[in-house]
Amino acid sequence: MIVLDGVAARRRPLALSSVSLSWGPGVHAVLGGREDGGGLLLALVAGAARPRSGSVTVLGGAAGDPDVRTRVSIVPLDPALPEALRVDETMVLAATIRGEPARDPAERLRVLGIEALAARPVRSLSLPEARAVALAEGATSSRVRVLLVEEPFVSMDPRALALLGERLRARGADGSAVIVLTASSRDAGELTDDQVLLRRGAIVARATSVGPLPGASPGAARLRVAAHDGHAARALVAALASEEDVEGVALEGTSVVARGRDAVTLARSVGKAIVEASVDVAEMRCEPLRDHEARDAPGPEASK
Amino acid sequence: MIAALARLPVARMVRSRRAWIAAGAWSALGVTMAVVMRRRGAPHGADDVLVEACGALVLPLLAYTLVGAALGARSMAGSTSALASFGASRARAAAVTVGVATAASALAGALLAATVALVAHGTADPPIARDALVSGYVGALGGAAYACWFSLGAWFGRRGGGRLVALLVDWVLGAGGGIGALLAPRAHLRSLLGGAPPMDLSQRASAVALAILALACALGAVSRARA
Repeated sequence: MIVLDGVAARRRPLALSSVSLSWGPGVHAVLGGREDGGGLLLALVAGAARPRSGSVTVLGGAAGDPDVRTRVSIVPLDPALPEALRVDETMVLAATIRGEPARDPAERLRVLGIEALAARPVRSLSLPEARAVALAEGATSSRVRVLLVEEPFVSMDPRALALLGERLRARGADGSAVIVLTASSRDAGELTDDQVLLRRGAIVARATSVGPLPGASPGAARLRVAAHDGHAARALVAALASEEDVEGVALEGTSVVARGRDAVTLARSVGKAIVEASVDVAEMRCEPLRDHEARDAPGPEASK
Repeated sequence: MIAALARLPVARMVRSRRAWIAAGAWSALGVTMAVVMRRRGAPHGADDVLVEACGALVLPLLAYTLVGAALGARSMAGSTSALASFGASRARAAAVTVGVATAASALAGALLAATVALVAHGTADPPIARDALVSGYVGALGGAAYACWFSLGAWFGRRGGGRLVALLVDWVLGAGGGIGALLAPRAHLRSLLGGAPPMDLSQRASAVALAILALACALGAVSRARA
């Protein structure tokens, strides 16, 4: 869906070097800030910037191709909206430009709980309201297949905040690629399936969250164990693999994420595995379970 | 698609109170000068007002105001970014914005010049109907040329401050009759309205030069968006 192959790009004072990435449908995170080149990375995917070398392929075409451009939506920290129009007129205009059938703007805005903004002039919107409108436009477009969102939880309308995660995950589940650029690992962990860590224009780490598991129930639990080093983390993964009550386990750098039916049983099993593996751990943290983990099919690399 | 892309610049022009006030003020200035000239009973009243006030001052400022309104008082890049964020081609969005500004300036220029010709008509001026018609045509051509001139200028500067530079360049170059005046809409417009021609060009040559200047500036503005 999105392939960056050996991409180098520059937009002063930022630069990206030898970035190779591949994203399919789902919700993905780029962990990093604008100063790390995250904004430039999104601009490359959106076709708003050109690579100096390498290639950026989006939806089977070059980023920036006319047909590709209408299927990509970007929500930066300071979105550009047509300030002379009302919000409902903006939604109609966007639909016309994207080449999709017109739908009731209020209905589209309702997915983020901001239908009350429909009759407001765009120039009267606050920044959080404008960002929510831009996000609602991209998230409800029938043409958009790639949604790029910068810091979804920053400067966002409070009404939209409550529905944002669910909406983005729904877009990821319907076959779209949602790329979230954030400096917050917590936001990335709550929203996305996998993360790449961007530092000073280069990808320095990749992590896959624990995958969905068969038979997972809504009452299931997630536990993250931070080991002191990779060796200890791998030993812990091996020990957890023999625990019957642990339904899934994933290695994320020096952290191990385990899933189980309930928090108490899981904590007991993880504690037992820590003792058996004789590893020192720095931290254990219970994490909220993602909605899609209880709903979707399992990923092969994460299931036991 | 063109109609959709035109909605934004049209809405900016129609819904901007500031633009209406400014355009109204410049137009009122032109018409007031025409009224004053009529009261004086000047035999070449229409010619005088059209050359000295309308072509030299009011029409450029009117076009400047209308282009600024169509762009939302931003640079050309900034004014098209909202449309580009929905997937529109920047070049196409810029072309439509230039088109809207040009059409509005041509219409306003035609109406203003024709009105001034009618109001300030003197005894030694050409027949009134013909004078108004020709003035309207020249006003339309001048308005269109100025709109394209300022649209190209709007590519420069973070907030399109190049428009102001374009206005100043036109005033400086167009004031004389030398070779530099050939590049300024002001000099050709003055010639078409009955004033001194640049480099002794005929009025027909000035009309062609004005049209070429407009086309070149419009193409320059659009090709810069493409780049």
